Amino acid sequence: MPVVTLYFNRLQKLLGKKTSQEKIIFTLPFIGLDIEEQTKDHISVEYSPNRPDYSTDYGIASGLQGLLGIKTGMPKLKIKKGKYSIRVDPSVRKIRPFITSLVAKNGKLDDETIRQIITMQEDLHNGIGRRRKKTSIGIHDLDKIKFPLTYTTVDRGYKFVPLTSSSEISISEILQNTDVGTKYGNILGNSQKVPIILDSAGNTISFPPIINSNLTTISKNTQNLLVEITAIDKNAAEDTLAIVANALQDAGFAIYSTKISGANNSTPLLNSRKIVLGVDLVNKTLGLDLSSSTIVSSLRKSRLDAKSQGNKIMCTIPKYRTDILGIMDLVEEVALGYGIQNLEPTMPQSVSAGQKNKITKALDSMSAIMVGLGYFEAMNFSLVSKEVQYDLTKKNSSKMISVIDSKSQGHTILRDTILPGLIDTLSRNIHETYPQKLFETGVVFSKGSNEIKEEIHLACVCAYNDVSFSEVKSILQSVFKTGFGLQCTTQMTSDTMFSEGRAANIVINNKIVGVIGEISPEVIDNFKLRIPVAGFEAKLTGLIFD
Amino acid sequence: MSQVLHPIEHKIIKTLKQTPDITHEEIAKNAQLAIDQVRRGLEWLKYKNLIEIHESEVFFVSLGKNGKEALEKGLPERKLVNYLAKHRVCTFEGARAALLESEFNAAISNARQNGWIEITKSQNTNIISLKDDTTKSSEEELLSILVNRTPVSEIKNKSALEFLKKRPDFIMLDSIKTTVVNLTSQGLETATKLSETVGERKLTTEMLTSGKWKESPLAPIDVEATAAEVFAARSHPLQDVINEVREIFASLGFAEISGNLAQSSFWNFDALFTPQDHPAREMQDTFYLKDTSANKVATPNQIAKVSESHKKGWHYNWKLEEAKRMVLRTHTTCVTIRHLAYNNPDEARIFSVGRVFRNEKVSYKHLVEFNQVEGVVVGKNVTLRDLMGLQREFYYKMGLKKVKFWPTFFPYTEPSLQSMVYNEKLGKWVELFGMGIFRPEVTKPLGITNPVLAWGGGIERIAMLKFALGDVRELYNNDLGWLRSVPKCP
Repeated sequence: MPVVTLYFNRLQKLLGKKTSQEKIIFTLPFIGLDIEEQTKDHISVEYSPNRPDYSTDYGIASGLQGLLGIKTGMPKLKIKKGKYSIRVDPSVRKIRPFITSLVAKNGKLDDETIRQIITMQEDLHNGIGRRRKKTSIGIHDLDKIKFPLTYTTVDRGYKFVPLTSSSEISISEILQNTDVGTKYGNILGNSQKVPIILDSAGNTISFPPIINSNLTTISKNTQNLLVEITAIDKNAAEDTLAIVANALQDAGFAIYSTKISGANNSTPLLNSRKIVLGVDLVNKTLGLDLSSSTIVSSLRKSRLDAKSQGNKIMCTIPKYRTDILGIMDLVEEVALGYGIQNLEPTMPQSVSAGQKNKITKALDSMSAIMVGLGYFEAMNFSLVSKEVQYDLTKKNSSKMISVIDSKSQGHTILRDTILPGLIDTLSRNIHETYPQKLFETGVVFSKGSNEIKEEIHLACVCAYNDVSFSEVKSILQSVFKTGFGLQCTTQMTSDTMFSEGRAANIVINNKIVGVIGEISPEVIDNFKLRIPVAGFEAKLTGLIFD
Repeated sequence: MSQVLHPIEHKIIKTLKQTPDITHEEIAKNAQLAIDQVRRGLEWLKYKNLIEIHESEVFFVSLGKNGKEALEKGLPERKLVNYLAKHRVCTFEGARAALLESEFNAAISNARQNGWIEITKSQNTNIISLKDDTTKSSEEELLSILVNRTPVSEIKNKSALEFLKKRPDFIMLDSIKTTVVNLTSQGLETATKLSETVGERKLTTEMLTSGKWKESPLAPIDVEATAAEVFAARSHPLQDVINEVREIFASLGFAEISGNLAQSSFWNFDALFTPQDHPAREMQDTFYLKDTSANKVATPNQIAKVSESHKKGWHYNWKLEEAKRMVLRTHTTCVTIRHLAYNNPDEARIFSVGRVFRNEKVSYKHLVEFNQVEGVVVGKNVTLRDLMGLQREFYYKMGLKKVKFWPTFFPYTEPSLQSMVYNEKLGKWVELFGMGIFRPEVTKPLGITNPVLAWGGGIERIAMLKFALGDVRELYNNDLGWLRSVPKCP
C-alpha cells in the first residue's frame, strides 16, 4: 500500500488549529490510515488505494480537520474561468482518446510541496492510473507554454528534448533507451503514431504517458502550473483531475479551467454529486439509533455535505471522493464521522448449532490414528517444485500442472501426490534421530479433460535402518481398519519411486486407491538420504468422504 | 549420586577389586559378561566416578631365531648333558668336538650353574662328569611357554627371562597400547562395601509362576539414572491452531463449508466486484494456472448480473473470457460467496478454513501459500456492532482479551474494519482479522438480499504469536527437532 510522509510542523500548520502530536497520532488510524513509522519530527502512514485523495498531506489534513471538528463539511473547489484551451485531434482516438486539464496560478513551491506533489502524481499513476495505462498526469511550468495547445499524434521518428535531457531524442529512442520508455512503452502497443501535446509555438509539451518535455520542467521558482491528464477512460481522467485540483488549491494555488474541445472531448466540470441516504439504513447497518442531525454532523466530519429531510439525508459528495460508489459507502462515512471507537460491540443471537464438516471430521480421526501409531504430522505446500515432485522421484511429469510466472522457484507446479514432499522432508532432517515417521493429509491436483480435479490424500513415510515393506503395510491396514472399518489388500505393481518387487497397489473395496512400498535406493540417493525409507499414499476422497 | 548398582556394575567392580588395571576383554573374561555389557557398565561407572580408564602399554615376549632353534634342538647346556649321558665323562676337548665352537662356553658355564655337571682337574686336563639331577632348567621351561606370544606380565620367572634376553637372538620384545580400567578411590570404597548377593534384576513370568520371587528379592535399581529420550508423535502445531479456530467457530454456532483451491477468476474476483483491470488481479500478485480455463463458471443469470454490476460500477467492458481464467484462490471468500450464491440462505452462520495463495517472494514475513479462516453471518437484522461483537468473542476464546477496531478498506465490503489485538508477550498491538459487510454490488447481483457480515484472516500469524516464532517459514519447515520439542499446549 502507498505511503505518505507527514511532517508534524507542516501538518499542524495545515490543520489551522493547534493540535498535539499525540492527538494526531491517535486520530490518524480512525480516518483509515495505518502508522508505518514514527520519528521525532515526522510520521509515515499507509493509506488504502480507494482514498487517492490521501496521497498528500493536504488531503490527510483535510480528513483530520473533519474528525477533529476543526473544519467540517465539503471542501469547496473554486474554479475560475481560464482563457486556456486545448484542441484534440481525432488521430488520438485509437491510442489514448482523452485529455483533461486545469491551470493553477500564483502558488509557491518549496521543496516539501514539490515532494508532496510528485508523490501524489506517482501514487495516482500506480493506483487509479493503473501504472499510467488508464490515466497519466503531466505537470508543467505554465509560463513556458504558448496557448492554445494541441493534443495530437506524431510518428515514432519525431524528435524533442525530453525531461532531464539536453538534446533532441526521437520517440523510438526514448522508448528503447530510457527507463520510463522501457517501463511504460508497452502501453502504446505497436501503434505507428504516438500521442503528443504541442503548443502554438510548435514546442513539444509532453509525450504522454511516457515523459514531459524539458522545456516545462517545474522548479522552486515556478508560480503557475499547467496540469494535463491523458487517459483511455474519461471518468478516471476527471476523477484524477479533481484530486489534483483539490490538492493544489490546498497548497495555495488559484485554480482556472482549461477549455477542451474536439474528438468527443469536453471541458471538465468537476461537479459534486448528490446521493440520498435513508436514516433507517444507517441505523440498521451500524446497529445504532442515531438521529438525523447526528448523522448529518457525522457526515460533515467525514468532509461531506449533508442536509436532513424527514427520514432522508441529502448528501453532497465532492468529485475527488472517488471511493464513494453508493449508499453503503455513505453509511461507512457516518460510522467514521461518528467515531469507530464509539461503537460498542454487541453479540447477535445465534440461530444455529455449529459443526465442522464431514471431511474435516474424517481427517481429524485419520490424524488421531496416525499419531497413535507413532507418526508425526507434517505440513507441506501444495504448490511445489518440479525437481522434488518429478525429477528426484523419477515420476512422469507429462500431466504436470504449472502456474504462470511464479516469483518463487520452489513453488511452480501443483502437487499430484504427497509422498515426494514427505521424502523431501526426511532429507531436510538427516541430522535428527531415527526412526523418523511422518504423515500428511492434504489436497492433490490432477488434470481432468479441461478442469482441475482436487482430491484429498493420506501419505506416510517411515525411515530407519530396519524399516520394511511389512512394517508400513501393518500401518496401512491398521489405519483403515481402526479408522473406517475398511479391509485393504496389496497387489504387486511396479513404480519408479519404489524398488522393483517391493511395490504394491493398495486395494480397498476392489478399487485401487493408492500405492505402498520401499522407496528405491536411487530415489533415496537422489534426495541425499542415507537411510532406508518405506511408505504409502492413499486417496481418501471417494473412500471415507465424497 | 545414588550408590545403587546394576548387576553388571556390581560384577565389574568385584572383578576390578581382584585384578586392577585390566582391559575390557579381561574384565569380560573374569566377570563372565558380554563385551557389550562391559562397555555399557563401564560407561555408567565412569559417570558415577567409580572407575577410571587410562591408556597403558602392554609388552609381549616371543622367541627369536636362536630361541626357536634352541627349543627344537635344545640349549647348548642340554646338548652337553645329552652328550655326557652317552659318555658319562669327557674332556673339554671331547665336549668341544661335540658342540659348536660358539656354544661351548655357554654350555659349560650354564650346565655347571644348573648343577648338571662337575668339572675336575686331572693332569692338566679338565674332566667333565655328569651329575644325577639334570631336570629341566627354568630357562627351558620359559622357552616352551614362549612358543606363544606372551605378555610380560604373565611371565613368573623374571630372572629366566633376563637370562634368555642376554642370549643373542633368543627373545623378541614388542608392545601394544591398550586402555585399562582401574577403580578410583571412591570405587575402592564402594568395592569394600559391596554385598555378595546381587538379587534378581527383572521380575519374570517364570519367577511369578514358580514362586521364586519369594526367595530372591529384586535388586534395587538406580532410579535416578537418566533414561533414553522418546518422542511422542503429535499433530502439526499449525494444524492444532487451525483445529482450535474450528472449535471456536463451531462453538459460536458456525457450520463449516469447504471448496476448491483452484477457482475461476469469476468467483475469486468478479463475483466480489473486483474489476478486471484491478492491480490485485495481475499475474505478479495472483497465480494463474497454465493452459486451463473453466468450462462453466456460473449460471447464465449469475454471469449476466455480475457483468452488469461491473459495467455500472466500474464503467468498463466486462469480459467472460477473463472471468474463466483459473487461479489458485487468493482468499477463502470465493468459497463463501459461491456458497451464498447457490444456497441463498436468509439466515446463516458459516465458516471455512483452508489454503490460499499469493504470488509473492517467500520471506520471513510472506509465504506463497498459507491458511486463511473466514466466517460469515447472514441475517435480516445483523449489524456492524454485531460483527465487532463476534470478533471480540472469538479473540476472547483464543485468550486475547484486549481488542480495538480501526477503519480500513476491502474492495468487497463496506463498511470495513480491521481488528487490533494486544499481545502481552510482545507488549504491543498486532493487526489480526479484517472484517466488513458485503457491498450491495456483491450481494445484489447474486440474489443475496440480507446483509452479510464477513471476517477473517491468516492463521499463521496467530500460530507465530502462539509459538513465539519470528519467521513464518518455520511453520512449514517440518523440522523434526522443532516438532519433537514444541509443547502441545504452550
